[in-house]
Parts: sequence; structure tokens; C-alpha cells
Amino acid sequence: TLMGARLAGSHGDTQEPKTNPLVSISDEPETLYKRLSILVKGHDKAVLDSYEYFAVLAAKELGISVEKVDKPPKTIERFTLLKSVHIYKKHRVQYEMRTHYMCLELKYLTSSTAAVYLEYVQRNLPEGVAMEVKKTKIEKIPEHIQKPVWDTLPQVKETEVKS
Amino acid sequence: ARVRVGRGDKMVTYEQAHAPHHIGHRKGWLSLHTGNLCGEAGAAQRALEDAFLRRFLAGTFPGLLLDEPVLKRRGNLLVLCALLARALPPHKLYFLQGYTETLLGHFYKCPVRLELQTLPARLPYKFL
Repeated sequence: TLMGARLAGSHGDTQEPKTNPLVSISDEPETLYKRLSILVKGHDKAVLDSYEYFAVLAAKELGISVEKVDKPPKTIERFTLLKSVHIYKKHRVQYEMRTHYMCLELKYLTSSTAAVYLEYVQRNLPEGVAMEVKKTKIEKIPEHIQKPVWDTLPQVKETEVKS
Repeated sequence: ARVRVGRGDKMVTYEQAHAPHHIGHRKGWLSLHTGNLCGEAGAAQRALEDAFLRRFLAGTFPGLLLDEPVLKRRGNLLVLCALLARALPPHKLYFLQGYTETLLGHFYKCPVRLELQTLPARLPYKFL
């Protein structure tokens, strides 16, 4: 019967552990990021709003804490050109290009979490939308600064000034 | 070019009826890329590619294009979305689709995807 065939074949290789070829495990300590700042630019505000909802939902599902979602004011680049090919200086045409921004700030990530989140979010970036990412790394204080300088210098004996 | 008012027999689609100052309010964009954003480069190259692609599509589907094709760029991928009339049989449309995809892919050195949709006739918005 079909039920018997399914149960018989599933426990054939329990002795070998199943390793996923896509997952890699390394012993190096991961670089930590204090803040991951994603600035998204676009011409259409509705597209940016829906992308913000998508990115915030993805961050919540992966367990990444969202610091804040900032919406800087739009920049408008305008220029005035002559309407006609030859003369008619008094009749002009004005064009403008509007760029809307949306800044998403995430805090306290590891490098692998950041890589996974950024890859997912960048693969689903809509057309006509550009993204800039800034990462703030956390590093240990280097050894030569760990102790203050005035503690390491040899103590100078105070001499009495004879006036 | 703005479509001028006539006797009442000229059929006009939604795209043709609205003037350029309605883009972003009542109209959408026909070509979507990041070249025109603040601080981004490559606007002129994208404009030239768009002009070539529109002429190419108008030539490979003569008389079949119902409305202006929509060009989208996602990373390296170039997606062309076109509305066609049902004048040709489907196997010829599939051949033309494969032909444009391979030829443009080799020409622009990027993956090209052509998404076609057939309609019985052009959709009228109003008659001017």
C-alpha cells in the first residue's frame, strides 16, 4: 500500500546528519552593527509608502528592532526652458523632478542578519526606486587607548622650588 | 503633444487624454528607472535606451501596439510590458517575443523580459 511505502522509506538514512548546502557555519567572530541606515529614494510617494510597510514587516518577522522610520521632505529640481524651437523668448516651459525620501533605521544587528535582511529587501526593490545603505560598526577599543596616558607615564618626583 | 478637440469621432485613450502635467496625479510613469532621482547618474543613457526600445517594439509589432509600452528596470533586468491587438495567431506572437528577448539581451548585455497582453481593441476613454 502507499501508506506503508511512505513510512518505510523515510527513516532509511537516520545515521547521517542532514546538512543544507546553502547554510555555512564559521567560527570567526561576527562583526556587530550598531545601526543600519537605509535611505530609499523614489519619484512616487505611494510606492515608497508600500515599500516602507513591506520593509518594516520583514524586519519584525526576522526579529530586527526598528529604531525609527524617518520621512525627510521631498526635493524638487525645476528648470525653465524656451517653449519654441526658434524665437519667442517670452513663452517658456517649466519642468520639475520630485524626489521623495524614506529613511529606515534598524539597530543592533549582526553581519549575517544584516546580509540576509539586505539581500531580501534589495531583491524586492521596486523599479524606479533607489536605495543607499549606511552601516555603523561596533569595534573593541584598540589596546593602545584602553588605559589613559597619565596612568602609564612614570611618576615624576615633585621638587621644591626655591625662590 | 496634447490631443486637440475635434468633431467628436476621434477616439482617445486614457494615456493620450491626459496632459504631461497630470503625471503623478492622474497618470503613471511609462518608463521607470533611477536615472532621474536626486544624486543618481545615467539619465541620458536610460533616455536613449528608452527611445530605441520604443522604436524597436513599434517596428517588430507593426500596427499591433494598442498603447505605449511600459519599460521597467529592476537592477540589471529590463522588463518591457506591452498591450497588443489580436491580429496575429499566438504562435507568431510567441516567436516575436522570443526574438525580441534574445536580440535585445545580446544588444544591451542584460536579461530582457517581454510581457505581452492581448486585447480585442483599443480601450476608449473619451471621444474628442
